[in-house]
Amino acid sequence: MESTSVIWPRSAFSASVYRQVRERNCARSGVGMDNERRAANEPSELIRAIATQRDRRAFAELFAFYAPRVKSMMMRMGAGNEAAEDIAQEALLTIWRKADYFDPARATAGAWIYAIARNLQIDRLRRDQRAKLHELYEAIEPEGPERPDMIVDGCEREEFVRAALKQLSHEQIRVVHLSFFEGKAHGDIAEELGIPLGTVKSRLRLAMNRLRQTLGDLA
Amino acid sequence: MTVKHHPSNETLAAFAAGTLSEGRSIVVATHLSLCSQCRSAVRAFEAVGGAMLKDIEPVSMRADALERTLARLDTPSAVRLAKRKDDTELPMPLSQYEMGAWRRIGRGIELRPVSVPSDNDTRVFLLRAKAGTEIPHHRHTGDEWTCVFQGAFRHEGGRFGPGDFDEADDKDEHRPLVEAGEACICIVALQGNIRFQSWLGRLLQPFVRI
Repeated sequence: MESTSVIWPRSAFSASVYRQVRERNCARSGVGMDNERRAANEPSELIRAIATQRDRRAFAELFAFYAPRVKSMMMRMGAGNEAAEDIAQEALLTIWRKADYFDPARATAGAWIYAIARNLQIDRLRRDQRAKLHELYEAIEPEGPERPDMIVDGCEREEFVRAALKQLSHEQIRVVHLSFFEGKAHGDIAEELGIPLGTVKSRLRLAMNRLRQTLGDLA
Repeated sequence: MTVKHHPSNETLAAFAAGTLSEGRSIVVATHLSLCSQCRSAVRAFEAVGGAMLKDIEPVSMRADALERTLARLDTPSAVRLAKRKDDTELPMPLSQYEMGAWRRIGRGIELRPVSVPSDNDTRVFLLRAKAGTEIPHHRHTGDEWTCVFQGAFRHEGGRFGPGDFDEADDKDEHRPLVEAGEACICIVALQGNIRFQSWLGRLLQPFVRI
């Protein structure tokens, strides 16, 4: 496992998804994209502009796209409008402050922003100041670059994740969205969808295993 | 280091989503600090979260939201990063927690409580057992998550060495035996109670309830 130099793509199944992504990307890069489209596609460029030049225009652009989405995510996770608004502002502020730490070799911009929002959400739920939970996420990473052999850039990686999600059935996506993204309890999901608890659990297990299998060890 | 026993994909996804209790997160984080394969999986699930975040239906911010945030950009604030303590005895995720003293709870077995004030439902502790020790036969009434970081034990489910993660639920009955060689140390998060079935186990019972 550790000695494999190029881990991506891992399986024949992954390879075919990967090829589709590659082709789509090549096709797209030939076409001139308008600015808005590029901003939505390349938040990692905006984060880099913030890190290197303290670029406020880049920040405003990132804010316009991500603040309303982080707010939406928080509301789905149970925060009220005001609290969600505050967390969204706080998340974008954190992006500004931590832009230096963003490492495109390690995460897509979306995944990085997702993790920032998640940590703020964790803090919101645990008002207990003694909670160190969000620090655990930093404590698991070894110092220094973990995978110098990583060759897939952030944009491609995101397309790959999208392709992996498309492999799931509509029912699976729904359960993944409710449980994983909105943080709902299995029992609440069973009630909301009108299906047995066991079905929620098995659907989730199958979906997560499938995602893991498609994405391999690298994302 | 070859890690053989990993958390389930749902557990890794739940960790990525931040929905595990702090007590359980500590055990999963300890495993992650020792297993690059599962760290990659967590990053994969975070990337799934990133894609879902991008696709979500946005909710409008207040009209002055950007202006207010821009005004705060130059306010210095300490970016809090986890302190890296050079405590070579403990995996990084554990080194940030307050712990009690080691205390003997039975022949060859010691326990050290980990203080997790935010989590009332889970008991978290280090367990250190001498080589060759047999942990009393016990049954769980809740879930017990364990990650070994030194030495090894065996039970019906296989051999568990450094980095190995053991997820036991209330259907499991275990009789772990610590391997010869060095002492085995693991981090345990226990939800519910543990019921020992031997006379020794009954003696241990009040101590394990920490």
